[in-house]
Amino acid sequence: MIENYRHINILKESVCSKFPYFMGGFDRQYEKFGDDWASAFNRELEIFFGSDDGRIESAALGYGAFCLDSMKLQVEFNKTLEYRNKTYAEASSEVYQNRDYMFGLYLPGILISHYLWEHHYVQLKFYEKEVIPQIEDIDNPLIYDVGVGTGFYTKEYLRRVESSQVVGFDMSPHSLEHTEMMVKRWDFSERYQSRLGDILERDQTELCDVINSIEVLEHLENPVEFLHGLNKMLRPGGLGFISAAINAPNADHIYLYRNADAVAEQIQTAEFTILSQTVDQAYEPRKSGDIVPTNAAFVVTK
Amino acid sequence: MTTIEQLQPIFRSVFEDDDLIVTREMSANDVENWDSLNHITLIVEIEMYTGLTLTTEDLISLANVGDFVDMLESKGFVPNGAG
Repeated sequence: MIENYRHINILKESVCSKFPYFMGGFDRQYEKFGDDWASAFNRELEIFFGSDDGRIESAALGYGAFCLDSMKLQVEFNKTLEYRNKTYAEASSEVYQNRDYMFGLYLPGILISHYLWEHHYVQLKFYEKEVIPQIEDIDNPLIYDVGVGTGFYTKEYLRRVESSQVVGFDMSPHSLEHTEMMVKRWDFSERYQSRLGDILERDQTELCDVINSIEVLEHLENPVEFLHGLNKMLRPGGLGFISAAINAPNADHIYLYRNADAVAEQIQTAEFTILSQTVDQAYEPRKSGDIVPTNAAFVVTK
Repeated sequence: MTTIEQLQPIFRSVFEDDDLIVTREMSANDVENWDSLNHITLIVEIEMYTGLTLTTEDLISLANVGDFVDMLESKGFVPNGAG
């Protein structure tokens, strides 16, 4: 029973006290993914938020607000079929460089979405099945996580591959701060370093064994240029895990992918070879013609 | 006509229930298909009807329809015949 998981219950009660219509999301995930999901989610909350219930309550407010914002934009998107016109500089100023927004809403929202949004959790399971087994045999793999966001995947690599070293790159100092907090709370700080700035302006001489970039492409004006940048950072024969959001308006989504093929085409243009992929919808369309946010994730090599 | 009476057709349309009687005490727990997607649809339809733009801050902690109506009126919505 989901009630057996203390931290999930604190989160659920906090979310539902402010946003009662989100109640079903918790129960649906539990019904679909069971105790494996609940156990992992509870552990995530327990380690990141600790015993301070106030932290979870605050994150719950951020998560709810983040979802409301995104869903409202989705209704608008279903009518216009376009993202709101925004430059990277505008999105950066509004979101990535805005500490209050990042820590109050954006980062807690994304962190919790890894477990509460079906397509994000399916992506995590795909990563566990398709990516991790290919890294376990590499001695002391060097992993670059480009666009760390909350630090969720950085932490996942450090947790699942004990000999790994991870370097996190991001344009947002707040994302890097959040990632450092994440890594510290999981006690992995000794195997993690961070780099602030644009990878395209960096001369990264040491090539990595694994490159990770989760839902970064849709935030960029020129994702192909960025993908070429990722390719340059990866050693020949190395592994990549790259994903993108499709038809998913958000305050900082700039580049509109209308289907997974468009993402795959750009990945191949950047001279990656796709090994496997998963394409997952956030939820079943309510009625014919509704466009649903979708996630496409690719395991690639060079 | 009160604000609730004016908004009732929108509620009925969104929740696909022609017999729905909207009250101030009604909340998401009282309507079977009042989930997150229908909630957002309701908000957007009410924005279009009232001409108001509702922010996330406006929408947090609304316990029931009464709170929602009070918020709309505090933002300047005047029901027909009330002003």
